[in-house]
Amino acid sequence: MATQSSTMTDIERETERTNRVTRRLGRISATVRYLILAGVGLIMLYPLIWLIGASFKTNAEIFANPGFIPHEPTLDGYVKGWQTSTPYTFATFFWNTFLIILPKTIGTAISATAVAYGFARFEFPGKRIFFSALIAILLLPNVVTRIPQYLLFRDLGWLDTFLPLWVPSALAGDAFFVFMLIQFLRAIPRDMEEAARVDGANTAQVLIFIVVPLLAPAIVSVCLFQIMWTMNDFLGPLIYLSSVDKYPVSLALKLSIDTTEAFDWNKILAMSVLALTPSLVIFFLAQKRFIEGISSGGVKG
Amino acid sequence: MGGDSKFLGLLYISPFIIGLVVFTAYPFIYSFYLSFTDYPLMTAPVWVGLENYIKLFTHDRTFRKSLTVTLIYVFTTVPLKLVFALFIAVILNYRLKMINFFRTAYYVPSILGGSVAIAVLWRYIFASNGLVNMFLGSIGIEAINWFGDPNYALFTITLLRVWQFGSAMIIFLAALQSVDKSLYESAAIDGANKWQTFRNITLPLITPVIFFNMIMQTVQAFQEFNGPYIITDGTGSPLKSTYLLPLYIYDEAFKKFDMGYASAIAWVMFFIIMVLTLIAFWSSRRWVYYAGDKRS
Amino acid sequence: MAGLEIRNVEKVYGNKFKAVHGISLEVRDGEFMVLVGPSGCAKSTLLRMIAGLETVTSGEILIGERVVNNVVPGKRGISMVFQNYALYPHMKVIKNLSFGMRLARRPKDEIDAGIGQVTTLLEIEELLDRLPKQLSGGQAQRVAVGRAIIKKPEVFLFDEPLSNLDAKLRAAMRVRLTELHQRLKEQMGLSSTVVYVTHDQVEAMTMGDRICVMKDGRIMQVADPVTLYERPANAFVAGFIGTPEMNLVSATIRSGSGGLMLGLGSQAIQLDTLVVERLEKERTGDVTLGVRPQHIVPALPGAVNTLEGKVSHLEFMGHEIYLHVLIEGQPFISVTQSAGFDRDAARDSVIHFTLQQDAIHLFDPNSGESISLSD
Repeated sequence: MATQSSTMTDIERETERTNRVTRRLGRISATVRYLILAGVGLIMLYPLIWLIGASFKTNAEIFANPGFIPHEPTLDGYVKGWQTSTPYTFATFFWNTFLIILPKTIGTAISATAVAYGFARFEFPGKRIFFSALIAILLLPNVVTRIPQYLLFRDLGWLDTFLPLWVPSALAGDAFFVFMLIQFLRAIPRDMEEAARVDGANTAQVLIFIVVPLLAPAIVSVCLFQIMWTMNDFLGPLIYLSSVDKYPVSLALKLSIDTTEAFDWNKILAMSVLALTPSLVIFFLAQKRFIEGISSGGVKG
Repeated sequence: MGGDSKFLGLLYISPFIIGLVVFTAYPFIYSFYLSFTDYPLMTAPVWVGLENYIKLFTHDRTFRKSLTVTLIYVFTTVPLKLVFALFIAVILNYRLKMINFFRTAYYVPSILGGSVAIAVLWRYIFASNGLVNMFLGSIGIEAINWFGDPNYALFTITLLRVWQFGSAMIIFLAALQSVDKSLYESAAIDGANKWQTFRNITLPLITPVIFFNMIMQTVQAFQEFNGPYIITDGTGSPLKSTYLLPLYIYDEAFKKFDMGYASAIAWVMFFIIMVLTLIAFWSSRRWVYYAGDKRS
Repeated sequence: MAGLEIRNVEKVYGNKFKAVHGISLEVRDGEFMVLVGPSGCAKSTLLRMIAGLETVTSGEILIGERVVNNVVPGKRGISMVFQNYALYPHMKVIKNLSFGMRLARRPKDEIDAGIGQVTTLLEIEELLDRLPKQLSGGQAQRVAVGRAIIKKPEVFLFDEPLSNLDAKLRAAMRVRLTELHQRLKEQMGLSSTVVYVTHDQVEAMTMGDRICVMKDGRIMQVADPVTLYERPANAFVAGFIGTPEMNLVSATIRSGSGGLMLGLGSQAIQLDTLVVERLEKERTGDVTLGVRPQHIVPALPGAVNTLEGKVSHLEFMGHEIYLHVLIEGQPFISVTQSAGFDRDAARDSVIHFTLQQDAIHLFDPNSGESISLSD
């Protein structure tokens, strides 16, 4: 009995030792991972942090102080930058951005939902061909179609209006969103929709009363992505808009770089911060939607 | 369903069909036609046959430079971004407590990255007396003329893209998290160490996502415009070392209004993307693993 | 107040797969018809065609006197309880119940009356303000049934409504649904024709007025439970209905000195005249013998006309014992009372068995059709 119990404790001791080593290795490896993550995170986010700090610095300090906190905080950049060198303030440009975003996003949400519903829930002649076209558009570089699109909008008399920015999206032109919603819809069982059909709903009522509520999180994701991308869009407005009074923020920012005196850096930095603020606010309010959207639908950006 | 017209589905996708025809199919074909014309916008297009293409490949040194720069840019940016995204995703995939925090933090640049404001920021932090050089100075490295030196300028544009690895990372992370945990347990019982498990279990299972990310990122990288345009004021300086093809096409089309020639450049670029995509799809049979036939 | 008629219905999918082969079936007004069969037999497809959720490739479906092939599901006068209940997850129970009536723009007092009636009937008053995710399986099931009843349809369709419940609850709900079917007739004056799909033959046998047994897109037999059990039309139905399963083995019929003999390998027994009378005339040669485990029992001492078999395995089930026996190399199960049975002695021993010949079935070995039915 005595020998047996001492063997037991040997085993226990050995087990204990192994556990200790494993735990320590685990701790070390976790620490290393946290260090990497924190280090990379800092490098990635510091430019943004610096930008915010720098926008409150004087022009002299921007290129002299790599730190975040301004030595002599000033709102100069914001006040002067807001006025711009044009007859318009940034208020106009933000309003224009809003005017571009709102119809575009609503149009995207409606058309992408209807089209995704059509693809995911119906059989019809030519479905395979149209679906292949959808995937092809996903991969098709816009560069190829941009010039004829420009000519088309010119012939339609849509140049220097918001229509070229609105209409293609309202016709489910952003294949990525349609694809994303199709993926979401495929994951939703059809029973509820069938039950609604049995309850007397027609397909449009099924779409409105059943599919849209079930798909709401995904549709919100689509809207959020569209808002972000439209806010970031530069080439579209650059090609189609020529009057300064129709400029969105992205163009206005480029304009202020071109027209600002070479040393008035803080104006541009301040306006850059303002330009990023709506995106950042929306992102932090709805980050879950973005991450879910990206995880399940695919990618862009 | 019984009683429904078989054309009902067409009704729902009708916006897409209209958009497809008007804004994609027609422009697609028309631009191919334009690439064989001389079209200075003010007069009607004149058929010139292969002239644009011949000029591109024989006389146009700017095109050659721009194409080279674009290929270098794509083939450095895409692998760097993917490897980085996968690396961080793998680290995040361990059950770390702050996974959500880091995931969000890393995603911020992807959300903002394409914007003019970020390109502006890039101009400032890589300026000769900007943030990066201030740091390099503080650790005793001589300042680098990032945008003035043709050897570095393209690299800063690459960095701007790689910096936006967040969305690719999130897709990788979602794929990693969907790997059946029992496979890891089974591999552990079979005596596989961490690297062997990653190499033999994780990596093969996420190849479809790697493939998807690779294709999407490549197509997008070819179309990079905002960054170099804002940073170099549209010049692609210095010495055209950041003059990516989209900048060249933009200049030809919307500054010189040489629509025919611009279309030809666009089509060469499209052709290259298409060939690369086809090669990728063709090769995918050898390295992309598809579980059963789950894709419908 | 309507029955249902299915005439020569076929279903061919886009990929040329033929799921349903020319099925004809009549469900009488007020009848509880169960469609049963193994998975893949197209019972659900048939139900979904009745509902209008699948198109009919050819043939006709009539509800009442009306051909409904091209009528949308909502206008067929049917309601359906889905396997996963398919409650609208974003609507409270009360909204789930009234959805159909609200779509039809029924007046509010009619909707309220309907809800009142259904909630009393199913005892779901306290659930009205809950969302589907706040319901237990049994509660969700009752709400789903309520949603079907409130429409006062001509035909109720059930698609495996109990398969998601645990065994105990399933048994209870089986009884409740059968009672409900009665009460609907009596209290609400609904004819309540029911078509009920299940893969569980116990559910089919206990609930159905009549049962339609299906296999591979074809009907094998339509009959009331007793007929199905006692007079299976073919070997498939014989094997599908009843637990433990009917023994189905190869045998031969040949003429012997005193009449027809049933041979199993080297053994043979004399066939009773009552079997011979029912048998197709002049039928000899290979047959499939079907005998339920209850009808092949250890022979009493001294009995004649027995078969000899070796006990390979014993299952003690409480008041019964399942004897797994090999007779001439063919496996049989025999059920016998456990009281007074010496299990230790029986193990691995060779015993004689008596066939209760009034309960045996003979089938054509190729077609599987019964050859012992012709009374």
